[in-house]
Amino acid sequence: MHATSWQSVDHSLDACIKCNICTSACPVAAVTDLFPGPKYSGPQAQRYRENGQLTSPDHAVDYCSGCRVCNEVCPTGVKIAEMNARARAQIAVSEGIPLRNRLLGRNELLGKVGSYVPNLANFGLHNPVSRFLAEKVMGIAREAPLPHWSVNGSFGDWMRKTRADRLQSDKKVVYFHGCATMYYEPFIGKATVAVLEHLGYEVIVPPQNCCGLPMLSNGEFPAAKSYHQHNIAHLSGYARAGLPIVGTSTSCTLTLKEEAPELLDMHDEAAQTLRMGVWDLFEWLRELYEQGELPTDFRSIEMILPYHAPCQQRAHRVGKPALELMRLIPGLDVRESHAACCGIAGTYGYKTEKYRIAMDVGADLFNFVTEQGPPINFSACDSETCRWQMEHGTGIPSRHPVEFLAAAYGLYDLAQRTLAPAV
Amino acid sequence: MLDLLVIGAGLAGLSAALSAAEAGLSVRVIAKGMGALYWSAGTIDVLGYLPPADTPVEQPLARLAGLEPPHPYALTGADEVRASLAWLQARLAEDGLPYVAAPDEANLWLPSPAGAKRPAYLAPAAQSAGALRRTDPILIVGFLGMRDSFPALIADNLSKQDVWVRAQMLSIGEITNRRDANSVHLAQGLEDPRLRQHLGKELRRLVSPGERIGLPAVLGLDHHAEVIDELQTLSGALIFEIPTLPPSVPGMRLYRALRERLRGHGVRIEAGMEAIGFGTEGDRIAWVETETSARPLRHHAATYLLATGGILGGGFTSDPAGNLREVVFNLPLNAPQERSAWFRSEFLDPRGQPIFQAGVEVNASFQPVDGQDHPVYANLWAAGGLLAHADPIRERSLEGLSLATGRRAAQALIKAAAVPATP
Repeated sequence: MHATSWQSVDHSLDACIKCNICTSACPVAAVTDLFPGPKYSGPQAQRYRENGQLTSPDHAVDYCSGCRVCNEVCPTGVKIAEMNARARAQIAVSEGIPLRNRLLGRNELLGKVGSYVPNLANFGLHNPVSRFLAEKVMGIAREAPLPHWSVNGSFGDWMRKTRADRLQSDKKVVYFHGCATMYYEPFIGKATVAVLEHLGYEVIVPPQNCCGLPMLSNGEFPAAKSYHQHNIAHLSGYARAGLPIVGTSTSCTLTLKEEAPELLDMHDEAAQTLRMGVWDLFEWLRELYEQGELPTDFRSIEMILPYHAPCQQRAHRVGKPALELMRLIPGLDVRESHAACCGIAGTYGYKTEKYRIAMDVGADLFNFVTEQGPPINFSACDSETCRWQMEHGTGIPSRHPVEFLAAAYGLYDLAQRTLAPAV
Repeated sequence: MLDLLVIGAGLAGLSAALSAAEAGLSVRVIAKGMGALYWSAGTIDVLGYLPPADTPVEQPLARLAGLEPPHPYALTGADEVRASLAWLQARLAEDGLPYVAAPDEANLWLPSPAGAKRPAYLAPAAQSAGALRRTDPILIVGFLGMRDSFPALIADNLSKQDVWVRAQMLSIGEITNRRDANSVHLAQGLEDPRLRQHLGKELRRLVSPGERIGLPAVLGLDHHAEVIDELQTLSGALIFEIPTLPPSVPGMRLYRALRERLRGHGVRIEAGMEAIGFGTEGDRIAWVETETSARPLRHHAATYLLATGGILGGGFTSDPAGNLREVVFNLPLNAPQERSAWFRSEFLDPRGQPIFQAGVEVNASFQPVDGQDHPVYANLWAAGGLLAHADPIRERSLEGLSLATGRRAAQALIKAAAVPATP
């Protein structure tokens, strides 16, 4: 008994009843005049857009952060965020893409290059002179919370080094780590592998590319399409074989499931198979829990933990499974954020002209986090750029929910971000 | 498993969810988007007209007693409406959003955004001071540059109805430094004490002794009572709000008050979750599925309440051929068979338009029934604008109906969900 609610981005335009609920919920329009709001840049301006036109009727759409809160609140199912993303791509086609945006879109390449010489790369990126130059020359905000390359090797290096120790099992799961885990935060990947193996699963980490989201956000659709094609080639076979593909970067899993196929019009059988095989890690763990297959012999973690389900996690429309599962950990007093957005929206808040907007958008969340204490040792969030932004906005370290789960199983040290010795 | 899954986040769904949560049930609310309260003037209209008569109803609760089945009010009874109103009023007063009724169970008559007399039973205190039965003269103040706000039109129309009224304009620059602002942005802006100070002084300059001041309903969102108090002190006049076009700040205040109460009971309101399928076991609904970024998400509950609204709210829809369909459970609809029968030939026909009286048939316990008056599913209830045999827009009865039917349906399902006492 299934109705279908699927409608194309273009057709959904006709469902707009101009009620303005999206504009009243938009976290960007709330803090700046530069973005008039989703209704204007989305369904209204859309009526003046057509494929291949040389000038855009609305350049303010560049100030849409792509957070998708508009989609979440729209009562009639208009795909506003997708309209805006396509409009940005149209501007990119007709007017070219600034070097900065090309660079910010190339997360995978930057990660890979920097990780050959991480100490040098970190020095090169994070010293005041280069940040000053990056701001003046490139338009990358001096204060923006850019990541640090891992100086202890990439997640891939660790997987290779520990191959002999990895669990072999009939129960298998595929892990999509994303670029941030690969090059900046390998400890998220280690915690994930430790948890999955603790549950008795063999973890397969196949070759994989960037999900393409940074490029989609910056309007560089052809390059994103190439990435998605590669990911389909690498991963859809596992999905076809019935293996779950889980990811810890919630924006990557959302892109594989929905953003890439919808924005790029890739709806063939292989793309659809991949979409249906991908899970956000906690979405999948909640399934295990509901089937009684998730051990809950957790160690107590005594602390107050402000948790923010990021926009890209909420855009999965699966509720807040990380919140539900972390609440099973004894002693852990998880406080749910109802803030709309942290502001960073991937690469949006890195840009000089948008940095202030991103910080103003995030103010509600930063206040929420600090108001839960003191003492607050950590906040938690499922998305890496949001964690970095939350740390930047509050000065309080932020962790992925899987780090808490790993710690509760006794597999992980939350402060050091290292695996327990036995693992 | 949940005790209750509510589908729809308008007044019917939220009242039912809150009633059930107060009775100790575990409840979740899912909705395609933000609820109809964002479109509502924030008043609780019980009954303003009883078509085809076009004389206004002065004593709505007394008139309800005379209504015959199948009108949904005849199923709730006037006493239940009275009890529901008191229930809501008590909670909103505790939450700092006091609602006021006219003396002697009469309707309040309030100015509409076009200057018509609008019948409401309960109104936020800030609107009730605009009651047109009062004889003190009115100064309507608007803001030049605010969209969809026409003080001169309001004053002109009211004065034709023997109200002593005049209009004055201030620049929108007096209350915002944005180039473009909707009602929500203005309301949030007025939470800044400096802006209020300035506006208060301007109002004192404009107002004549003995006048009360009507302003667009943008006087604060989360700190509304404070904003009103301060403006009254500064201006030395009684101040009231006149609703705006959507997004409606008074409606959002009501939504937020109910949302906070529900959160206090641990109830989640999940926006962006559209119900697209369901499964049955015997004569019961076993689960409801919602659309996600990939595979559907299943919600299991002991009881289900459908409160998705009427043809305007999206509770039912039609295909291009004019076949109407209830969108979640495909329930039988009492509706015109042919598209040509949706509307009468006269737009203002005193009997109303049949399509706006269409809806789901329920029994005395608010369970949807088939043609033989048997419940379609043993654990399904329905409430609000979705119900057949009312014409809420013409009757000005939408909120009263939603509240009373939501409460009655909740009472029925609470009994059904109650775990049998163990001996």
